[in-house]
Amino acid sequence: MLTKEFIGLISSESGLSKKETEQMLSAMNAVIRENLMAGKAIQLQGLGVLEIKERKERVIVHPRTGERTVAPSKNQLVFRPVANVKDELKNL
Amino acid sequence: MADKLSWTELRKAIATRAGVSEKKAGVFLGAIQAQLVEALKTEKQVKINGLGTFRVQAVAPRKSVNVTTGEDILIEGYNKLAFTPEAGVKELVEMGASPLPSPEGKGDLIDPIQKLGAQAEEIVDILGELGQSPRASTEPEPEPVVVPEPEPVVVPEPEPEPVKEPEPEPEYEPIIVHEPEKKKKKSHFWRDTLICMLVLIAMLAAGYFFLRQELSDIIRSFIKPTQTEQVAEQPKVVAQEAEEPVVDETDAEKELIPEGELSQDEILAEFLAASEEEAKEVREEEKEEEQGGLLATEAIREGSRLTWISKRYYGSKVYWPYIYNANRDVISNPSHIDVGTPIRIPKLTQAQLDTTTTAFKQLREEAEAACKK
Repeated sequence: MLTKEFIGLISSESGLSKKETEQMLSAMNAVIRENLMAGKAIQLQGLGVLEIKERKERVIVHPRTGERTVAPSKNQLVFRPVANVKDELKNL
Repeated sequence: MADKLSWTELRKAIATRAGVSEKKAGVFLGAIQAQLVEALKTEKQVKINGLGTFRVQAVAPRKSVNVTTGEDILIEGYNKLAFTPEAGVKELVEMGASPLPSPEGKGDLIDPIQKLGAQAEEIVDILGELGQSPRASTEPEPEPVVVPEPEPVVVPEPEPEPVKEPEPEPEYEPIIVHEPEKKKKKSHFWRDTLICMLVLIAMLAAGYFFLRQELSDIIRSFIKPTQTEQVAEQPKVVAQEAEEPVVDETDAEKELIPEGELSQDEILAEFLAASEEEAKEVREEEKEEEQGGLLATEAIREGSRLTWISKRYYGSKVYWPYIYNANRDVISNPSHIDVGTPIRIPKLTQAQLDTTTTAFKQLREEAEAACKK
C-alpha cells in the first residue's frame, strides 16, 4: 500500500479531509525525525516503538579475498511492534 | 534506553506543527493506530513517505533441537513485522547523534582480538604445511598473544593473586597503542617466509627435474667409476680402430657376416653390405648411420630415457629416434626398455641433424608408433 492509499484509508476512517490527513502525516513524520535525532524513541500507542539502536562494530570477511576488516558501528532505526501486533500478524 | 516520546507528546507536537487542534491530531493518530495493522493484514505492506515502509515478512519454518532432551523439533514458520526506514531517514539516523555514543575503548578491544584471530589462523596454516598434527595448532595460538605483549608472563600470575588484580582490561589498554603495528609486521613476516620457502622448494624441484640425469650420472660415477667408464669408453676406442665398427654394424643390422674373419673379408663384407643396402635403399638413415659409425654403446639404466641419452650425446632430445633406429633389434618399445640393454649410439651426419627432412619425420613417426605398442 502506498502513501496515497494509506492517506485515503486514514481519512475515511477518521472523517478528516485527505488534505488535512496528508498535512498531519507529514507533520508526524517531521516530529518523529526530529525526536529521533534528539535521541528519543517514539511510542506509537497500540503499534510499537520506533527507536534508534546501535549496531555494534563487527568483523566482516570479504567473501572473495578473505580479507578481514572491522565494519564500524552504526545506528539503525528499528521498529519494535507491540506483542499484540506481533501476535496478530504472526499467523496470517 | 533513552526517554520515549509519548503518545500525548506526539499528538501535541503534530497539532502545533500542522496547525490543527489537538483533538484532530488525536483522531488522526487513532485512525492510524486502528488502520495500520488492518492495512498490513490485507496488503502486507504499508509505505509512508517521509518515514519508511512497514512490511509483513514471512519467516520460514526451521529445524532446531530441544536443548534439554536433544530432540529435533520444528519451529513453525510465522510472520513478523519489519520496518525499513526510508533512505533519507536512515542516513539521518546513521549520521546523527546517537543515543548511545559508542565508547572508544570498545573498538580498540575488538580490533586486537580480531587480529589475533587472523594471526592464529595463519599460524595454523603454517603448522599444517609443516606437517604437524592439527592438535598442536591449538597450542601455539596463545604464544603469539603472549610474545608481543610487554607483560605477558605477569598476566596469568596476578589473576589468582587477590592483591594485584589488575584485570585484563587495564593491561590491554597500554598494549593496544603498540599492538596493531607489531602484529601486522609479524603476520607479514610469516607470510613472507612461507612464500620464500615455497619458491625455494619449487626451484629445487625444477632443478632436480632437469638435472636428474646428470646428477645420477655423477653419483654413479662416484659409486662405480670403473664400470661405467669401461662401458662408455670401450666402444669409442673400438670405433676409432676403423675395422671393428664395421663388424658391429653388420652384426647388428644385417647379421650377414660372422665375426672373427680376416680383415680383408671384413672390408669386403662391408662393401657388400653397403652395396646391398644401396640397392635396396631401405632407409636413408641406416645408410648414413653406417657411414657415420658408432659414437658409443651404453647400457640402459634404471630410469633412463632415450631422449636423455640423445641430449647427452647430440645436445638435443630431438634426435632420439636415431638411437631407436640403431637399436631396433633390442628395442621393441622405446618407452619400455629392459635395464641393462646395451644401446648403440650412432654418429650423426650433418644432414641428419636437420629435423625437417621427410626422412627424419618418417623415422620419428615410426619411433613414436613403436612407443604405443
